[in-house]
Amino acid sequence: MKNQLPTQPQRIARGTSRPRTQAGSPAPSRRRKRKKRNPMALFFRGLARRLYFGGKTLIRVALLIPILVFMVAFSYQVDRSGLFQGALAPRRIVDLMLQGYDVSNFEQMDERQVVQLFAQDVEQTPQAIGIGSSRILQFNRENTGIDSFFNMGVTGADVRDNMTSYYKMVSYGKAPEVLLWSVDPWVFYGSENAFDARADAELYNEFLTKVLGVETDYEEPDQVELWKALADPAYFQGNVDYYVKNRGQSVVTDDEGNTIEFNPVEGDPYESPTTIKRSDGSVLYDKAFREQNQDQILSLAASACMTFNSVHMEGFDELTPTQLEAFDAFIKYAQEQGTTVILVLSPWHQYLYNYLLTEPDNHRGFFQVEPWLRQYCADNGILLYGSYDPDCIEGLEEMDFFDGLHCKDSGIRKFFPGIPQALESLHNGSAPDPLSVTPRVGIEQNLPEMTDEVPVE
Amino acid sequence: MEITWQQLLGSLTESGSIAITTVTYLAFFAAVALLNYALPRVLRPYFLLTASYAYYCYEPANRSLVPVLLGATALTWLCGLVIGKSRSKPVRMLFLILSVLGGVGVLLYYKYWNLLADLLGGVGVERRADLITPLGLSYFTLAAMSYTIDVYKRRCRVETNPLHYALFVSFFPAMVTGPIGRYPHFRPQIQKSRRFSYNRCAGGAFRMLWGYTKKMVLADNLSRYVSVVYGDASQMGGPQLAAATMLFAVQLYMDFSGCCDIALGAARILGYDLIENFKSPFESTSFAEFWRKWHISMNSWFRDYVYIPLGGSRCGTFRRILNLLIVFTLSGLWHGADWRYLMWGLSCGVFSAIGMLTRRPRAALAKVNPVYQAAWLRVFLQRCIVFLLFCVTLVFFASAYYNADPYAIYGGLLQGWQGLSGSLAAVTAMMYDCGIDGRLPVVLLCGCGIVFAAESQGRNVARWVRGQCWVLRWTLYYGAAAAILFFAAFGQSVFIYQTY
Repeated sequence: MKNQLPTQPQRIARGTSRPRTQAGSPAPSRRRKRKKRNPMALFFRGLARRLYFGGKTLIRVALLIPILVFMVAFSYQVDRSGLFQGALAPRRIVDLMLQGYDVSNFEQMDERQVVQLFAQDVEQTPQAIGIGSSRILQFNRENTGIDSFFNMGVTGADVRDNMTSYYKMVSYGKAPEVLLWSVDPWVFYGSENAFDARADAELYNEFLTKVLGVETDYEEPDQVELWKALADPAYFQGNVDYYVKNRGQSVVTDDEGNTIEFNPVEGDPYESPTTIKRSDGSVLYDKAFREQNQDQILSLAASACMTFNSVHMEGFDELTPTQLEAFDAFIKYAQEQGTTVILVLSPWHQYLYNYLLTEPDNHRGFFQVEPWLRQYCADNGILLYGSYDPDCIEGLEEMDFFDGLHCKDSGIRKFFPGIPQALESLHNGSAPDPLSVTPRVGIEQNLPEMTDEVPVE
Repeated sequence: MEITWQQLLGSLTESGSIAITTVTYLAFFAAVALLNYALPRVLRPYFLLTASYAYYCYEPANRSLVPVLLGATALTWLCGLVIGKSRSKPVRMLFLILSVLGGVGVLLYYKYWNLLADLLGGVGVERRADLITPLGLSYFTLAAMSYTIDVYKRRCRVETNPLHYALFVSFFPAMVTGPIGRYPHFRPQIQKSRRFSYNRCAGGAFRMLWGYTKKMVLADNLSRYVSVVYGDASQMGGPQLAAATMLFAVQLYMDFSGCCDIALGAARILGYDLIENFKSPFESTSFAEFWRKWHISMNSWFRDYVYIPLGGSRCGTFRRILNLLIVFTLSGLWHGADWRYLMWGLSCGVFSAIGMLTRRPRAALAKVNPVYQAAWLRVFLQRCIVFLLFCVTLVFFASAYYNADPYAIYGGLLQGWQGLSGSLAAVTAMMYDCGIDGRLPVVLLCGCGIVFAAESQGRNVARWVRGQCWVLRWTLYYGAAAAILFFAAFGQSVFIYQTY
C-alpha cells in the first residue's frame, strides 16, 4: 500500500457491494472454482520461500558485521579504562619492557599490575621466573645465568603476591620451567600482619579455591558485565576520543588526562640517577644508593634493627600450620605444572642478624623458619640456596648489602651459582644438602609438626 | 570464558526498560519480525497482537495498567459494533457518546486529573500523587475514538473481529510515539497480511536507521545545549536563549520525526504502512501550511474530529477564528496537563488566526514588495518567518518540557545582546561548556543540513535510497551506522513525544 497523508475520510456506501441487475436483484456471482492444491506442496513451498528470503536477509545483515567487529576490536585495543588490557600506565611499562627497554620512575609503578600484565602479555613463556619481595629484585639475567628470565618479585610481597604471580602465569598457559622463589620468613606467618594491603586478595582467593581447593569467600566474577563493555558504543566513543588525543603525541596521558611518566631509560642504565625497572623485571637502584660506603650501609642496617618486626612479622612467634600447608600445596602445584622449584634464602645484613640474635624471644617465629625450611627441602628434594644467616654464606661481606635487608648482586653470586648450574646439580645428584648448613637461631627452637604429607622431624 | 544464553538474556533485560533506543527493543523487535514471517499469514495479526501486549507488559509499571488499554479497546469495539449494526439513530448516537466519553474520560482521569484538581482548588477533585499515566495513552485513545466516530459517520466498516481491532489500538511500533492511526487505513493491512518482501524490509530497516541517526546523533546532542540553557534560564542572556529556542525547534523535529521514522520503519518491516507524520515542515511558507506538515496524524485528527464538526472554515470569520483557537488549544493541551502547553496551543492558534485574517492584505502587499520579486528570496524569507514564528510559540513548549518560566524567557530574550560577534561568542562559549566541542559542531551542522536536504519536499528517504545503486546505498548504510557509532549521545534515550 502506498503511503499517503490522511485525507478527509470518505463516506462509504452501506450494505452489499455486489453489483445489481437493472431489476434490482443481485447479479449472480461468478465464483471461480479454485484449484485444489496439495497441502504438502504448499507447506514445502512456504518453507523454501522462508529459507530463501531468510538466508538472503541474513547475508545482507552480515554485511554490517564489520562495523561491530571494528568497534569491538578498537575498544579492545585502545581500552582507555584498562578493562581488558590493564590500566594504561602499567600497560605502557609492560609494553616497554617487552620491547626490551628499561623503564624509569620505578617508585611510581604499580608493581603488582605490571606483574599481572606481564603474565598476560608476554608472548614467549620465560624459562624461569623469580617470585618474592624486594629481596629478590636483584636477581637478573646475569646472575641467574639465563636470558629467558623474568623477575616477578614485587616490593613488600606477601605470600599472596608470591603465589598469585606464579598462578597468573599458569592460568595463561605460561608455566615456566623453573620457579626461583626467594622465601621470606613472613610466608609462614598466618596473621593479618603478614599481609600486604596492596596484594590482590581476590586473585589469591581464586587461587586457593580453584587450585588448592581451600574454601574462601571467592565468587566467580561476572565476566559478561566486563565483556559487555566491548559492545558498548559509549565505551567505543571514549576510546576514540582517547586515541585521537594521544595519537602522535610524545607524552601519553591516562584516562583522566594525567601524563603517564614512564619512559624508556636512555643511555647507560648504571648511570641513572633514579631507580629503574630493568626489562627482565629486576630493579636497578639509583646510583647514589648503590654506591653507599660501609658506614652508610651499616647505618641503614642499624636502623632496620628497630623496625625488623614491623615488616610483616609483628607478633610472629611461631610458624602457622595453615601457612605451612599452603606452602607445601603450592610447591606440589608448581611441580605438577612441570616447574622445577628452586628456593632461595636471601641473607640479612650481618649487623642486623647479629642484633636479632641478641633478642631471640622477640623473633621466635623468624628463627624457626630456616630450620624448618631446610628440613622440608631435604625431605622433598627441593633445591635450596643461601641462608638468612649471613655467616653461613662463605665470603659474604657487609659491602655485599645495600642496607639491612637487600643483598647486592655481588652477594647473590656468593650463594647462588645460577639456574643452569643448579639444575645440573639436581640432575647429577650433586645438589647441596640443605641440612649441611646450620644457621644461628639464638635459642633452641621447637619446630611445629606438620601433617603426614610433609614429615618434619 | 563461556557466556550462556541466560547470561545474555539477563544482560539484555537488566535495565528493565524497552525504550526504542535500547538494545532490548531491537532484540525484541528482531525476534518478533523473525517469528512474524515464520508464521502463516493468517496467524500473523494474532501474533503481533500478542507481541504488542508483551511489549506493553514488559515494564512492570505498565502491567497494572493493561486493563486500561483492554478496557478502552473493548469499549470502543463494542460501541462500534452497536453503532455499525444498529439502524436507530438515537441508539447509534448514544453509543457514540458512550465511546467518546469513555475515551475522553480515560484521558481526563489519567492525564488531567491533577490539573483539574489544581484548577478547582481541590474542591470536589483532590490531587492524586499515585496516578501513573498508561503507556501511549494519548495515542491509543485518539485512535480508538476515531474508529467509533468513523463507524458512526459511515466512513468505516464495522470490525467484527475484536482481535484485529485490538491490534490496531495496541500495535507496538506506533504505540508509544504514534503516528496516530486510522482504522480505514490499517484494516486492509490486517485483513490481508503481506508476504515477505526483501525490498520492504530493507527499506524499513533503513528508515529505522535513519530515525536512530536523527534521534541519537542530532536530537540528543542538540539537547545538551538546550537542556542546560533552559535548565538555568534565569542566568542566561538573550543570545543563549534565542539560540536554545531555535535549536530546540530543530531538536524537536529531529527527535519526533526520528522516532516516527523508527516506528514507520519497524511497521514496514512487519508488513504495515503507517501514516506519515512529517512532510518537511520547515519548508513551509505560511503558518497554516506548517501545521499541515507538522505532526500530521494528530493535526489531521483534530481537523477531522474537532475542527470540521465545529463548522470548520465554512462559517463566519468569528466562528472560524474561534474554531481555530479551540482546535489549537486542545492540541496544545493534548501534549500534557500543563498550562504552558495550553498557552503554546493558544499562541499557535492566535498566529494561525492572524495568518488567516491577513492572508489577503499580505498577498496584495507581496505583489508590490520589491524583495518578493525574486521567487527564491521570497520563499526563503517566508520560510524564515514561519520558522521564527514557530520558535516564538515554542518557548512555551520548551518551558513546559524543561520546567522553566516562559515569561522570564521571553523577557530574557531581549536582554544581554552584545552585538553580533559578542553574542555569537557567548553562544559558542556556552556550547563548548555543554560539551558540544571538537568535531561535534561540524557534525551537527552537516548532519542537520543533510537531513533537511534529503527530506526536502517531503521526500521519503528510505524509498529514495532503495532506488539508488548498491554502492551508494551501502555507503549510506555504513555512513549512518558510523555516525551513530561515533557521535550518538548514548544514555539519553527518552523521546520528547514519548512523555505525552
